[in-house]
Amino acid sequence: MDYLRRIAAIVAASLVIAGMSSCGPGRHVVRVAVIGPMTGEQAKQGKDMADGARLAVEEWNAKGGILGKRIELLVGDDAQDPKQANSLANKMWTMGVVLVVGHYNSSCTIPASEIYNLRHMVMITPASTNPKVTDRGYKTLFRVCGRDDQQGLVAAQYVVRFMPGAKVTVLHDKTTYGQGLADEFMANYEKLSAKKVVYYGAIVKEDQDYSAVLTSLKPLDPDLLYFGGLYPQAGLLVRQMRQLGLKAILMAGDGTYDPEFIRIAGANNAEGSLLTFMPDQEKIPGAQAVIASYRKRFGEVGPYSLYSYEAMNIGLSGIAKAGALDGLKAAAAIHSSSFETVFGPISFDAKGDVLDSPYVVWRVESGRLVQIPYK
Amino acid sequence: MTGAGFEFFQQIINGLAVGAVYALIALGYTMVYGIIELINFAHGEIYMMGAYGGIIILAALMALGLPLGLALSFALLGTLLLTGLYGVATERLAYRPLRGASRLAPLISALGMSIFFQQYVLLSQGARDKIFPVELSSGGFSAGGVKVSYIQAAILLVATLLMVGLTLFVGKTRVGRAMRATAQDPVMASLSGVPVNGVIALTFFIGSSLAAVAGFMIAMYYGKVNYLVGYMAGLKAFVAAVLGGIGNIPGAMAGGLVLGVVESLAAGYIGGEYKDVVAFGILIAVLIVRPEGLLGTRLPEKV
Repeated sequence: MDYLRRIAAIVAASLVIAGMSSCGPGRHVVRVAVIGPMTGEQAKQGKDMADGARLAVEEWNAKGGILGKRIELLVGDDAQDPKQANSLANKMWTMGVVLVVGHYNSSCTIPASEIYNLRHMVMITPASTNPKVTDRGYKTLFRVCGRDDQQGLVAAQYVVRFMPGAKVTVLHDKTTYGQGLADEFMANYEKLSAKKVVYYGAIVKEDQDYSAVLTSLKPLDPDLLYFGGLYPQAGLLVRQMRQLGLKAILMAGDGTYDPEFIRIAGANNAEGSLLTFMPDQEKIPGAQAVIASYRKRFGEVGPYSLYSYEAMNIGLSGIAKAGALDGLKAAAAIHSSSFETVFGPISFDAKGDVLDSPYVVWRVESGRLVQIPYK
Repeated sequence: MTGAGFEFFQQIINGLAVGAVYALIALGYTMVYGIIELINFAHGEIYMMGAYGGIIILAALMALGLPLGLALSFALLGTLLLTGLYGVATERLAYRPLRGASRLAPLISALGMSIFFQQYVLLSQGARDKIFPVELSSGGFSAGGVKVSYIQAAILLVATLLMVGLTLFVGKTRVGRAMRATAQDPVMASLSGVPVNGVIALTFFIGSSLAAVAGFMIAMYYGKVNYLVGYMAGLKAFVAAVLGGIGNIPGAMAGGLVLGVVESLAAGYIGGEYKDVVAFGILIAVLIVRPEGLLGTRLPEKV
């Protein structure tokens, strides 16, 4: 019995060792990863990110790969769960990954980036906008999208300028992203207008019915409801406001930029809703070639597809410039250069944020999201 | 009307609409419990599948070019039949073979069915929200600032009709008497010539159809469903059934409406995050203080 157990232990140990050795990258491959919510209610965002990164990797491989090696793309699913994000970050390190494009949710990016920082892996997020992502000053962290304090400011400027005298209410969904954004908007609005918002509160994200909190808002007769949160909840909020007879315009951030928002709310209900997002990709001349090849390969271009594409390009350029598979050297190379992207030239400040605030205001017009001029 | 008065009545209206849906689901729990003393934990998933069935049928009918009113009615009828059959199949496959086994076995089987249905919908329909295919009017009836939207009115009307119909069916018809007989004593009922298996299957069919109607109306109300909505709705309806007195049909209706209104007031006056706290607080309080529920009568030892 004892003898059998010893043999079993040896077999098990050898299997583990064999497994480990197969984990490291082969000599002729450079492993990079894209991580986002590939399943669950945000699965579309995850797929957009993966497709964008894949397009970039395919283009690099077609031009001969990097450092003389082929690039292999791993796709990780954090299921919008911070715990899962952390264990994936560790897994990517054991698999020899030096560059991660991700994550989507700030609540996943922030804890996972502790590991990327510790392991000197380059992480570039195409979508996490919470200021805390880069405010900790980690050397290997970058983001190609904007920050919530930037988009909160743009939203506040818009309201102060175009809706003077409006009664403003604020709701958030209690997530890192949603509450952070709502707070940034409120702080900027109160500073710029020298007025207080008339209501500040929260909804429960898992809930479907927000009519109770909206009913409390109704006697205040608000003109604007600023919402920090994502499109499924924003859609329900607009729908239930109209059913209760509330006329207030909903304004939200980049998390609401999705056609599903209008479908859930109903096109008539959503008409006139505002949100802050990056500029219209269809109107950027430099982006059209990439958009065309993306469409041919994967179908419709999502809001974060091109950001993911450029995040991967910038990361790979960093490695190429450093000339070695070394996260710290690659990060230093990214910090010291400027990149030609479909959005125009991008360079990073010391924290890893893009230098210029990219946000513009969009409005729902005849059931479609349209970028509107302001400033 | 003053702001505070308006707010109170509006919260009650909102609560009644949701409560009517809870009541319809709770009826399925309570009827099944009344007849075979099983807490059918797959019932929340039946409700969710009713919503999916309705949306899929409605989208198909709209694509065929049917007028909206007709398409809505046929979709409701279609999902009612389809989901009823799901309920009957669940009983036949997962519960009937375990009849006479220990009480725990069908309970665990019910949990298994619940997970099975959730994953079945996830795999066949995907994880994304399923969106109601037509945009319905957001208008409604207003009086003194209190607004009852058309959809809320439709929910209340349909739920009331179904509850009255069910009460008459169980209380006045021959089949209803067979159901009551089976609930009281299945052995004696079968000796008197009642086809017990058929009656139980019918009970599952009716309970599941009511849940399907609830699912369809909630899809209409919120405009979307996903494969996870059955879990919380099922739990809430279970609370409603216990609150009214499990096994008691008028109790389930009252329990659902009371729960909906209490939840709505809690969310409005304490805060949205306290809604579930209050709902499940009620469950605990009822179980401790009055386990037979609002309208129930004390029965000998049951699970």
